[in-house]
Amino acid sequence: MKLKRFCKIFSYGFVLFIAYVLFMPMDTFAADIGNCLLCHKYPGLSRIGENGKFRLFYVNENVFMQSVHAKVKCEGCHTDIKKIPHDPAKKVDCLRECHIIEPSSEQKFSHKEVAEFLSKSVHAKLDENQKPKKYAEDMPYCLDCHDNPLYRPLSFFKRVRPGISEMALGRCRVCHKKDEFIFRFYNHVTTRLHTTRSPKNIAEMCGRCHDDPKLVARHNLSTKAVYSYGETFHGKAANYLDERIPDCLDCHVNRGKSVHQMLSHEDPLSITYETNKAAICTNIECHPKATPRLANYKVHMELTPENSPKEYYFQLFFIALTGGTLLPLMGIMFLDLFRRLFPNIRITRRK
Amino acid sequence: MEAYSIIKVRKGKKYFFRSTVNQRLQHIILATCVIILVLTGMPLKFHDTSWAPYLYALFGGIKVAPIIHKTAGCILMVLFVYHLIYLSCNIYFGQISPLRKKKELTIGKLLKLLATQPFIPNLKDLKDIGQLFRYLFFLTDKKPQGDEFTWKNKFDYWAPFWGIPILGISGLIMWNKEFATRFLPGEIINFALIAHSDEALLAALFLFIWHWYNVHFKTSVFPMGTVFITGYLSEKLMVEDHYEYYVKIMKKAGLEDEILPPSESYDREPVKGGKVLEESG
Repeated sequence: MKLKRFCKIFSYGFVLFIAYVLFMPMDTFAADIGNCLLCHKYPGLSRIGENGKFRLFYVNENVFMQSVHAKVKCEGCHTDIKKIPHDPAKKVDCLRECHIIEPSSEQKFSHKEVAEFLSKSVHAKLDENQKPKKYAEDMPYCLDCHDNPLYRPLSFFKRVRPGISEMALGRCRVCHKKDEFIFRFYNHVTTRLHTTRSPKNIAEMCGRCHDDPKLVARHNLSTKAVYSYGETFHGKAANYLDERIPDCLDCHVNRGKSVHQMLSHEDPLSITYETNKAAICTNIECHPKATPRLANYKVHMELTPENSPKEYYFQLFFIALTGGTLLPLMGIMFLDLFRRLFPNIRITRRK
Repeated sequence: MEAYSIIKVRKGKKYFFRSTVNQRLQHIILATCVIILVLTGMPLKFHDTSWAPYLYALFGGIKVAPIIHKTAGCILMVLFVYHLIYLSCNIYFGQISPLRKKKELTIGKLLKLLATQPFIPNLKDLKDIGQLFRYLFFLTDKKPQGDEFTWKNKFDYWAPFWGIPILGISGLIMWNKEFATRFLPGEIINFALIAHSDEALLAALFLFIWHWYNVHFKTSVFPMGTVFITGYLSEKLMVEDHYEYYVKIMKKAGLEDEILPPSESYDREPVKGGKVLEESG
C-alpha cells in the first residue's frame, strides 16, 4: 500500500518535472551555464546589506537576454564565485579580460582601454603629474555612469525607425543560419550606430554628479550643468523625449572620440574650449548655416548676479513689470468683487 | 462705421454699438492665437511640472506642438501688421485726409488729432481711476462714469500692443537663431528667451485673469460677455461702464427721456430702490 502511494506521488512528480523541462524557455539553457538562476530567478531574492541598504539580487532573465552582456556568462564577470551556494560576491571589475574573443583582433575582450582613455580625461583620478587630484573619490568609476544597457536596434530598411527590420533579417538569413546569432549581431551593430540612451537619460546620468550642490561647490564648478541645460530648448526637448536633440555628450566630447576621452573646457584641445566651441554648434548635423557667433549663446546660464549679471537684471526687469502690473490689477479685481458681493457696507456717511 | 446703427433695439431692449465685424474678427483671431500660443508655450516654460507633458501631448508633443506654436505666432504677427495698417488707414482717410482737402491741416492740429484718438489715455482716465478707488473703498456710491473707452479698455488694448512686438521679435530671433546671430551676438538668444518667456507669462496672466474677469466673470456679466461676438453692448453694462458716453449718445439719438440713472452700486437696485431703502432705514 505504501509502495503504491509512493509510486503515485513519484509519477505525478515525474510528469511535472518533464513538463517543466519541456516548457522551460530555451534561453535558460543558453545563458545560465552555471545554473545561477536556480536562485536568482526569484523576484524576492534580496537582503539588507552591511551599509543598511536594501539590495535586490533578482535577475530578470528576459531583460538580461536583451542586454549587451547577454552572451557573457555570469561567472565571466563574477569571477570569485566558484561554488553554489556562494559567499557574498565581490564587486565586479569591469576592466578584466572576459571569455569573449573580439573578432577583429582575435584577442580576449576587455574594457581596459576605456580606463586608459579615462585616465587622460577630465574625469581622471590622477592629475598630469600622476598625483591624486583633490577629491579624487568624486571622479566617476564605470558603474557611476553605466548599467547593463539594453539593445536599442534600428531599422534602416527604406526609412529609419526604432526596432528590428524583418526585411533586413530576411537578407541575413541567406548566409547566416543561426537566428540567435543573427539577432545578436543585428542588435549589436544597429544599437552601436546610435546612442544606447535617450538625451534625457544621459542628462539625468550626468546630473547625478553635476547637479549635486555639494559636488559642484567642492570642485568649484561654475554651474549646476544639467539644471542649466534643462532650461535651454535643447534640455526642454530632451525632457519631452526628443531623441534628435543634443545632450551633454554631443557637445562635450570631441568628434570621433570616445565619451571617456572628454576634456575640460580649459584644455585647448577640448571642443568646448572657448575658441573651439563654434565648431560644435555649426557642425553639419546641427546648425550648419550658423556663424561662430551662435556659440556665444550661454548654454549653462544660471540667472544669478554672479553667473550672468546682465541676464539676471534683464529678468528682474520682467519680474518687476509682471508684479508691478498684475498686483495692482489683482487688487482692484479683488476690491471690485468684494464691492459687488457686499454692496451695502458703510464705512463713512456718504452723500 | 456708418453702416452700423449706434443703438439697436431688440425685443424692447437697447443695445449699443461697440465694434465692427472687421474689428471683431481681428479680436477673435487675436484671442484664438493667444490661447493656442499659451497652451503650446507654457508646457515648455514649465516643462518640469506634472501637468506639462499631458498638455503638450494634447498638441502633438515635441514634434508637432512647436509647429502649431510657430504657425499661431506668425498669424498673430501678420494680424498685428494688418492692424497697424488698418489703424493708419482709418486715421488717415477718415480724419487727416478730410482736413487736408479742406486745407486746414497744420502740425498742431495733426498732433492734437493724434493725441485725442479714442484709445489714447487721457486725464479723464486718471480721474476715473481716482473715482474708482473711492468707490471700491466704500467712500462713495458714485461709480466712475466712463467714456466710450474706459481706462480698462485702453489697458487691454495697449497690453497686447506692447506684448506682440516683444514676443514676436524674441520668438523670431529664437526661431531663426542662425540668421539672427549673423548680426547679433549669441547672447541675444539668452535675452530673447527671457523676454519671450516672461512677457508671455505676464500676458497670459493679464488676459486670463484681469481681462476675462472684466469682460466675462464679473457678477454683472457672468458667465460670459457676448459683445466680442455681437459687437453690441447691453444697456445695463453700458450704464455700468460707459455712463458718460451713454448719456451722450442717448441725447444724440433724441432719447433724453429714456436715459437711465447711473447705477450707484453694482448689484443693488439703482437709485430709487436704494434711496428708498436708505431713507426708510
